[in-house]
Amino acid sequence: MNAVQQLGRWGIDATLALGAAGIFLMRMAEQLWIVARRPALLVQQLYSVGVLTVIIIVLAGLFVGMVLGLQGYNTLVDFGAESSLGLVVALFLTRELGPVLTALLFTGRAGSALTAEIGLMKTTEQLAALEMMAVNPMQRVIAPRFVAGAIAVPLLAAMFSVVGIFGGYLIGVELLGVDSGVFWSSMREGIDFREDIVNGFVKSVVFGLTVTWIALFQGYTCVPNAAGISRATTRTVVTGSLSILGLDYVLTALMFGA
Amino acid sequence: MTAADSSTLLELRGIDFAFTSRPLFRQLDIRVRRGQVTAVMGPSGCGKSTLLSLIGGRLSPAAGSIHFDGDELRASHRQSLYRMRRKMGMLFQSSALLTDLSVFENVAFPLREHTRLPEEILAMVVSMKLQMVGLRGAASLMPSELSGGMARRVALARSIALDPLLVMYDEPFTGLDPISMGVVVKLIRELNDALGMTSVVVTHDVAEGCSIADYVYILGKGTMIGEGTVEELKSSDDPQVRQFMDGLPDGPVAYHYPAPPFAEQLLGEDR
Repeated sequence: MNAVQQLGRWGIDATLALGAAGIFLMRMAEQLWIVARRPALLVQQLYSVGVLTVIIIVLAGLFVGMVLGLQGYNTLVDFGAESSLGLVVALFLTRELGPVLTALLFTGRAGSALTAEIGLMKTTEQLAALEMMAVNPMQRVIAPRFVAGAIAVPLLAAMFSVVGIFGGYLIGVELLGVDSGVFWSSMREGIDFREDIVNGFVKSVVFGLTVTWIALFQGYTCVPNAAGISRATTRTVVTGSLSILGLDYVLTALMFGA
Repeated sequence: MTAADSSTLLELRGIDFAFTSRPLFRQLDIRVRRGQVTAVMGPSGCGKSTLLSLIGGRLSPAAGSIHFDGDELRASHRQSLYRMRRKMGMLFQSSALLTDLSVFENVAFPLREHTRLPEEILAMVVSMKLQMVGLRGAASLMPSELSGGMARRVALARSIALDPLLVMYDEPFTGLDPISMGVVVKLIRELNDALGMTSVVVTHDVAEGCSIADYVYILGKGTMIGEGTVEELKSSDDPQVRQFMDGLPDGPVAYHYPAPPFAEQLLGEDR
């Protein structure tokens, strides 16, 4: 096969996969009402994709905030602007690092787990068994996980930002001696609710929906054997991470002007 | 439904099916009578499991019709399909227990999904089903703690939880030790008769299949190569039936996968 043919094949495959993912999303959307009818299914999934991810989000948020505090201080102090440290830390976290890093960590921790779980359910015929018990797996298995992912990511991102700001405070104020009142007041004056908090929230909702969709789709359509699950899990992490970064640019351009 | 009498629970007529380019079934006819154990036997890869997927509506035939309990089964009609599936149970080769639920909850699963039984009644029904397969004492175990034979019995209890009309068994004897196999053989026959069910057993184990079947179909390349009661098949003169029933390595189903003559291939390397 020559290079042109390969490019064509790649293009056709990519288009087909995108179409299949779109159909999957539609079939999932039809079944979303189940979380209203049976909230217990949602709570269970919120625990496994959300609560179990909290610990790595908190740790990562703390370290990122501490690094921001240190780097920010070292840069700002040259211009005598260390009083803006609180604002700088909070802006970075709420607009960018909170939503993006949370979504990336979520992809690695919960997204890969979702793909592997669904893939294994498919491989061990559990999904087929549900079908044969007249239980729609889209409704019973997929839809609650999708909603749980979409709810968990924004909450985790908020947690990431809060802990990150605390990390910045620890380094900037407690270690390097920036005035505590200045640190907080610069943040309060400089951060705009709609511009920064809401936009960051919207980003994390979009990331949560996208990553969970990718993870569930990869698991549901994986080749049902060990190698297939492994490939699907890798694809979830790679496609999920790249989608987050690509979408982040698009959303930033839309929100803050290209 | 045409010309089918009420003694027929399931009828497949003129089924054509192909996986993308590979044709699997041509003009396949099967009739399963109520109350009987019908075995579908054939070598590996002849499409036995696919046949069960067709009956369960997980795949659609390219041509032909499937009638179950008087209604035509259409895979595209999700609601009516799900209504029919409530009257079917299926035992998967891998047992397919839900790994995050205990034995009790696995058997209770179809009841919780499809009925609104009070908890005490539900517990009673589950205990009865587990008692039938001899595993009432294992109710609190998780699937990972079960042996292969036990897992299959739990799956069997689950597949009969809703008292189905038809139970399908996909290779129920594969990978079991002789004792577990004996238990499963006995259970299939006993449950079928005691609960007034109808069973379709798909298997390549001739001895076990014949020991419980009332009627046997032998599936060859895409079509039925023989059908009848066990006695009829055992006395059949058809070479294909004979090869399968006697387990002969060579015959109408060739030992060698099609290839150019070996000598030609060996000599060809010198050129």
